[in-house]
Amino acid sequence: MLSIVFHKRRRLVRRLFFNHEQVRTMSRVKRRTTHPPYWHVLKNNQRQDEKISSDNLRFVREVIQDKYKNKSPIKGSDLDIEKKEWDPKTKRSGVIARNIGVQHMWEKDGKKVVCTVLHVLDNHVIRYVPPEEYAKSIIGAKVFRNRKPLGCLVVGAEAANPDRFTRQYCSLFSEVGLLPKKRLARFIVTPNAVLPPCTPLTAGHFVIGQAVDVYGKTIDYGFQGVVKRWGFKGGPASHGATKFHRRGGTIGTGRDKARVWPGQKMPGHMGSERRFCRGLKIVRINMKYNVIYVKGTVPGPTNSIVQIFDTLLPRRKFTEAPPHPTYFPPEDGTLPQEDIWDSSLHVFGSPSISV
Amino acid sequence: MLRRAVLQTFRQGLAQSFFKRNAVSLSETTVTHQPIETSDEADEKSVSKQKPGDESGNTVVVAPPEFRFMYPEFLPDPAMERRNRLKEKLERIDMLQRRSVVEIPEFYTGSVMAVTVADANSPNKFARFVGICIQRGGSGLRAWFILRNVVDKQGVEILYEMYCPLIQKIEVLRLERRLDESLLYLRDALPEYSTFPLDMEPERRLNNSVVPINPLKVKLRPRPWLERWERQNLQGVEDLNLPQRFYDKAEKVAKPWEKYDLMLQYRKTIPAEEQEKIFADVHSQLQQQEFKRKIRRRRGTD
Repeated sequence: MLSIVFHKRRRLVRRLFFNHEQVRTMSRVKRRTTHPPYWHVLKNNQRQDEKISSDNLRFVREVIQDKYKNKSPIKGSDLDIEKKEWDPKTKRSGVIARNIGVQHMWEKDGKKVVCTVLHVLDNHVIRYVPPEEYAKSIIGAKVFRNRKPLGCLVVGAEAANPDRFTRQYCSLFSEVGLLPKKRLARFIVTPNAVLPPCTPLTAGHFVIGQAVDVYGKTIDYGFQGVVKRWGFKGGPASHGATKFHRRGGTIGTGRDKARVWPGQKMPGHMGSERRFCRGLKIVRINMKYNVIYVKGTVPGPTNSIVQIFDTLLPRRKFTEAPPHPTYFPPEDGTLPQEDIWDSSLHVFGSPSISV
Repeated sequence: MLRRAVLQTFRQGLAQSFFKRNAVSLSETTVTHQPIETSDEADEKSVSKQKPGDESGNTVVVAPPEFRFMYPEFLPDPAMERRNRLKEKLERIDMLQRRSVVEIPEFYTGSVMAVTVADANSPNKFARFVGICIQRGGSGLRAWFILRNVVDKQGVEILYEMYCPLIQKIEVLRLERRLDESLLYLRDALPEYSTFPLDMEPERRLNNSVVPINPLKVKLRPRPWLERWERQNLQGVEDLNLPQRFYDKAEKVAKPWEKYDLMLQYRKTIPAEEQEKIFADVHSQLQQQEFKRKIRRRRGTD
């Protein structure tokens, strides 16, 4: 807070031994695609300029509303599947959220903390894929090749107008009676953490102080040169350097193998890659607006969609039972506490810190 | 209809208050300092505008247009890629919560302020610093300002984050504005322009409705300087007396078309409709807080 204005120096970590084998195997892997996998159903409608009258448009809207009437909210006591006990090996469902920005908070000793604000969208469980069926699918077979298979929960977020989607895509949701969602995700769960379809997932699914992993797609920088992409130093800005300011320089020795090694760092597309940020601590939950504040930063730009789930780091896992399988509002109608803060944070309405 | 009427009056009020408060900074040739006091200015400052009721008979409360200058940190960063209405709303709630505990007064660049901060290394556990505000920036909880003073012939600048909970008290000792929005040239000016006594008493203003503009022209030390001040079109600096080649180079490098660039201004500011909404929301809370503080002061608990 009291700072004489200066800039932080980034320490360059020098790798003493460069593992060529690992780079070569990963250099052939395709890291980005612009199309979904072939087994996905076609999602977006080819919008034709249909000239319908306003009366017909109103009728279409009424039909949609009738078809997707709001179901009564699911209570904890209504769960079809018998409630199973939580044990440390349970994997709960995750949640789809939007990264809405970064906010500065302060700890009780006055230290500033950068927190990412994640808005948990209107998540609903779409369906459950049991372990035997999931192990037969393409991705499931890869994930559980040498392991005991687990189930998979398909969760959707952000309801939208069915007009913009194809009939096949809407049918995924109409079986459950939900408005089609803009975004779908799969979370691997143990059979004792299964949720029935139409269950809403909210910010209360998480506990204050727990560690979460956040998956997102990093910021897309486009085609970038070697200085920004790989952190090369380039060349001198002056002293007679001819056209050598931000170039790569040497790309091989000429002796070893006498060719360029695959995986040689060169200019190319940077960003827009799947990344996980592990072990981020939840410091504040706002139950009214369904917002989670997480200590640290998250992959992806502001207003991008991320997935949040309980951490797999062994030392930061749960020791006590969390809301299992998920959080349900109390049945006696009492409202939960609106704004829950971690004990280490300074609450804004409380008196100033005196050291 | 009502919205258009409200918007019109808001914009008119904005223009009026801008012209009245910044009469000096607009004219480049003559420097006239006239604190104009008219009855509607005084009204605007103290009381929020109450618009005539709409069809249902409810009054619409609109914040005075000066809020845009008094509380600029409530306006978000205008970059569209990073804006999110929900996050701005939550941040505003937190800002108002913090303001209910600590009074963050109205101040401008050029005001002399004193800030008391909790400091573990000081003898009394509190450190008080007096200085002139040379720059302010940031939006939301990241809002900051820099205070400058000369202590024992050494120039000292401290950056304070307005919403940091370590801050115990912010006092404005002298509320005034200068001819420029940023006074970074004080670093290259003679030290007497940045020196303020550390035990300075708060000055009482005779005229509460208008913030005076100090038309002081500061004398700079001889070159070398930290920045090329001749290229920055500064109003609050005396004639630099540089050789002509500096001014020629400044002209070559200058961008005189920027003052006609409407899209540039549009991208740098939040539209008037949004500003109106934000300040209407914030205004009622701030009024309540000020009322409570007045009661506490009268009772003598402060």
